[in-house]
Amino acid sequence: MIRALKKRILAGVSLLAVTGLVVSGIPAQGAATPGVTKDTITLGMSSAQSGAASPGYNKVGPAMRAYFNYINEKGGVYGRKIELKLEDDKYVPTNAVNKVNKLILRDKVFALVGNLGTATHTAALKKTPIIKQSVPDLFVNTGYSGFANPKKYPTTFMYLPSYIMEAKIMAKYIKDKFPDKKVGILYQDDDFGKDGLAGFKAGGLTFVAGGTQKYASLSQATVGLTAQMTALKSSGAEVIILFGVTSATAVAMRTAAGLGYGTTWGPQFIMGSVGADPTTLLTLAGATTPALQAATLRSLTGALSLSFLPAATDTEDEYVKKFIEINTTYNKGVPWDNNVLVGMNQALLIVQALRAAGENPTRASLISALKSKGGTFASAGYSKLESANNVGYTGYWVGRYNSTGVIAPVDGGKPVVYTTDSSTANGDVAVSTFTRPAMPADGVPTNK
Amino acid sequence: MLVVRSSHKPSATKRTILALIVGIILFVGSNFIDEYRIFQGAQVAAYLVGIVSIVLLTGYSGQITLGQGAFMAVGSYSAALAVQEFGLPIWITFFIAVLAAALFGAIIGISAGRLSGPYLAGATLAFAVGIPALANAIPILGGEQGLSFDIGYAPGKYADTVSPYKWLFWICALCAIIAVVIAVNITSSGLGRQWRAVRAHETAAALCGINPARSKVMAFTVSSGFAGLAGVSFSATVGLVSPSGFTLALSFLLLTGAILGGISHISGALGGAIIVVIIPTVFESWTEEASLGVATYLPGIIVSALLLLSIALAPEGPSEALHKLRRKH
Repeated sequence: MIRALKKRILAGVSLLAVTGLVVSGIPAQGAATPGVTKDTITLGMSSAQSGAASPGYNKVGPAMRAYFNYINEKGGVYGRKIELKLEDDKYVPTNAVNKVNKLILRDKVFALVGNLGTATHTAALKKTPIIKQSVPDLFVNTGYSGFANPKKYPTTFMYLPSYIMEAKIMAKYIKDKFPDKKVGILYQDDDFGKDGLAGFKAGGLTFVAGGTQKYASLSQATVGLTAQMTALKSSGAEVIILFGVTSATAVAMRTAAGLGYGTTWGPQFIMGSVGADPTTLLTLAGATTPALQAATLRSLTGALSLSFLPAATDTEDEYVKKFIEINTTYNKGVPWDNNVLVGMNQALLIVQALRAAGENPTRASLISALKSKGGTFASAGYSKLESANNVGYTGYWVGRYNSTGVIAPVDGGKPVVYTTDSSTANGDVAVSTFTRPAMPADGVPTNK
Repeated sequence: MLVVRSSHKPSATKRTILALIVGIILFVGSNFIDEYRIFQGAQVAAYLVGIVSIVLLTGYSGQITLGQGAFMAVGSYSAALAVQEFGLPIWITFFIAVLAAALFGAIIGISAGRLSGPYLAGATLAFAVGIPALANAIPILGGEQGLSFDIGYAPGKYADTVSPYKWLFWICALCAIIAVVIAVNITSSGLGRQWRAVRAHETAAALCGINPARSKVMAFTVSSGFAGLAGVSFSATVGLVSPSGFTLALSFLLLTGAILGGISHISGALGGAIIVVIIPTVFESWTEEASLGVATYLPGIIVSALLLLSIALAPEGPSEALHKLRRKH
């Protein structure tokens, strides 16, 4: 009885196994370009929409969507409306893998746009089919120089200037303006921070003993930065670089205030560009009452920061002006700030890239269009977009917060933009001669 | 599927055959399902093993754990280190994960075995919080970004025809099937009876010649071994072993899955695993167009509501309620 049953099962098992192997060997059918239909182009983005690191950055995706909606109302891209699927990975690498898998496999997006975070996106590139399916991976929202590597990541394009570029420019600025001061740094302990350290080293900047402090990303909200800030204070650092996310900058500034910053302790703070949006910092500092707001502003006043875009408050700037207009109508209730500017500017570039990819875009045509024409796209950036080599913008200007939380060029007037590359072999930094293209009429690109 | 009842238990041979059949069905079925579902299937398999580890410890041995994520982390880090430092083949690392986590569980069990109830829950909670933070502080473990753990592609000529997701699913499903078979065998063996005896009444068990302390340590060790396997499966699905993958939330999620499925039956683990993996995805896709904020928090609220409902209506879980219903008829 049992033997007969075993035989039957064995036969069944073999049959099923053979069927399985045969079916698994059948190649997938060729299909139309994923994410592109007669009427729509679907794009996907995975970003921190909630969680410790999300404040500020969670406005980038919705700002992109707002600009796309504006374009959709003006006729879309060759008649196709742009849809953005926005996923929340909470800045956690394992979540990013899940979300990007979902975007590519289930939502079948045409391209990924503006994915945010170094560790998160590294994980996604490793464990999702971005490379295997040649999914265009446009304008990642991180400055990690390793992403501009066409051999390793052929479809990934950067947006921010690399952290190495930023650190080299910061190093030059500090050496020029604070030649004899002791310098300390607080950095995020992952590729983001390490990229920065490599840039500071290339730029020849040395840190005072005990003045190199780090924090684990996502840890700052729970454990605080008291140990690190106390160590920086006792190291005697007179110039302190904060090279982390905005939420870390907020905790650091709050801790510094508790340690006497602004009264008995007066170091010069310099904040990295990704961690220095004033509106977000004010919100994070719990600035709900006028008194608290004033206290936060006091701690920010005089701090330096870098930016590759115009100041969000520079309403004279044609790009800023138009984006504010779009934000008011298409992103209702969201206060205008640097994060919204970053997102809208990104969306403006994406629309131009989609147009350049032709009337019937494919993933390959989008990538080749970006490589050949990306450098000529109109955008608010003050430096050239080196998308020919998968690199993002290539320059920064240094600004100082005034007493109303507004960042303005240090020497007044127009910003002086410094440019460099991601080489760690030298710290060469030059003043940029780049001329920015004008904003397309009505903010609607017509490029081919 | 693999339903085991105390009144009527299939023999070990029948169980193995049943497992084989399930394996074949999954193997063949995986060819007809889209890749994203396959990926989710792999996740379900990984969570399933994690929930089984909780069912063994809490359901059978009666020891409450809030820190199963920590044991998963120990397994995962051991596996990733074995690849990184010693270049061992991936398949061996699954055994290493089990052994390392079991050893860790034994050590914890020896001390935690003296605790019970809320004190034990508190102690395991401390591990769930402490282990990821500790991992973050040890340089060889790669800090926040963690270590890479890549199971790669199917071997030889199948590398091109078998998608990486199918390959991942096959491995995770195989681990889950083996884990379930072993778990069911354990619970219907003398060891399982000992655990249940200790859970029911320690003194009575001792009078029957069972050493309660030893029985508890054994349960901790075995359960941790399963958690180690869950950890390495989980890491295979994301290709990464990092502190943020083993948060307190994961431990709670597994416990929730165990309770929702039915903590006193291995068979409930599958339901629990499906709930914790699928519910968030379903609700996210329903709500994402409405508002991302809602999409972010709603799945958690739904799962929590289910947990409360389950505790109120079927405290031993839906699977136990079903069993009772069947026994009545």
